Amino acid sequence: MEWANDKSKGGVLAHLERLETQMSRSCKNLEDPPRETAESDLGTKIHKLRCLRDKLRAEVKQRQARIKASTANAEPDQTLEISEQEAVGGKEENMKAILQAYRFTGLSGKRTSRGVCVCISTAFEGNLLDSYFVDLVIQKPLRIHHHSVPVFIPLEEISAKYLQTNIQHFLFCLCEYLNAYAGRKYQADQLQRDFAAFLAGPLQRNSLCNLLSFTYKVEPQGRSFPFCARLLYKDLTTTLPTDVTITYQGTDASSTSWEEQRASHENLFFTKPLHQVFTSFARNGERLDMSLVS
Amino acid sequence: MITFQLEFQILEIQNKESLSSVITDLNIIMEPTEYSELSEFVSRAEDRRDLLMFFRSLHFFVEWCEYRKCTFEHFKEKYSEAVRLPEGAASSCMVVQSPRQPGFELVIVWRIQIDEEGKVLPKLDLLTKVPQQALELDKNRVLETAPLGFRALLGVLGIEAALESLITSLCVGENH
Repeated sequence: MEWANDKSKGGVLAHLERLETQMSRSCKNLEDPPRETAESDLGTKIHKLRCLRDKLRAEVKQRQARIKASTANAEPDQTLEISEQEAVGGKEENMKAILQAYRFTGLSGKRTSRGVCVCISTAFEGNLLDSYFVDLVIQKPLRIHHHSVPVFIPLEEISAKYLQTNIQHFLFCLCEYLNAYAGRKYQADQLQRDFAAFLAGPLQRNSLCNLLSFTYKVEPQGRSFPFCARLLYKDLTTTLPTDVTITYQGTDASSTSWEEQRASHENLFFTKPLHQVFTSFARNGERLDMSLVS
Repeated sequence: MITFQLEFQILEIQNKESLSSVITDLNIIMEPTEYSELSEFVSRAEDRRDLLMFFRSLHFFVEWCEYRKCTFEHFKEKYSEAVRLPEGAASSCMVVQSPRQPGFELVIVWRIQIDEEGKVLPKLDLLTKVPQQALELDKNRVLETAPLGFRALLGVLGIEAALESLITSLCVGENH
């Protein structure tokens, strides 16, 4: 450096000024970016830490909530188990009841090791009567292993017609025959049991209960001659007779009143079940008594 | 499809020898169906409390209805110009019309009845419809005796064959 003249003095001062400005400018350039990066670094760090803090807070809350929930559920869980058991037990009872109820449709069945055992229930006018079973072996050809169908029911005939081709029809057909037999038997039993006083002799019947023969009076203690009745049920699937013959053996058999009675009795036997016919005889007798008293 | 709801009560009496069960109450609610015969049957079953008869007769009734529908559809398909089902295949009537003489019509009414005891029986009737002129020409009174003749035919040939012979007799000369 040279101190030569004013120019250089001015020059030196100016030079110094120039150096100062240069320095301050370069300082400025150096200082600002570091401050920014330091700030931004810190800022990011703070931001990251804040995020972590929030995350941890959230986790803590969750755990607390879970603990609360599990302590609250500790007792209800037990009761839940018990009520589930009850529900299952109740469902089982329900299923059993439903299976039992199928019996009331007339046809029900259960699986066996060989095939299926079908139970046919019979009834007459709301009175549930005997049940019969048919044990079927699922083979080709389908066959009956054993059964409780009475011998006088034409089981062989029905199975020859339908068993191999239409098992449903076989079962319903058998159901018809068995129910009709049960109904006829019930009527005959009722007559013998409840209206024995009206019968002048024993009730004659065959095992199929489709041929009945008896003598009866309209009044239990009547002094009149009895009527003779012969009922034939040709159609084995019905519980009402197809042929009715009523004869009157009295000495005044030709009189019109007895003829009228005979004809009306015939009509009654054709259209009403046996025991109902005799119930109406009994009721008429009562009415007669009442009229005599008054 | 027939849907119904059943409610019944059973009284079971246990005495020394046996257990007796009696149905003491029966309520049947059936959705209205196209089969008018059913409502009377249902009330009869309720009155008699005969639950088993209800199920049995219903089964046979439905089988007969299915058979009737199949038969009507078969004839409609086989003799499409002559046979008409004005109320559909599930109804009780089939009309046979001669394609060459449209004034002549035979109406076959096939009802399925359930009697007092619950027995299901088909009942077929024949109705004739002819022009007035033909009626005057009918000296042998064939038309008057047709319904009775049809009943006799049914007894001899059975339902399907009787219907077939009736249709073919009216459509003589048609190629099928």
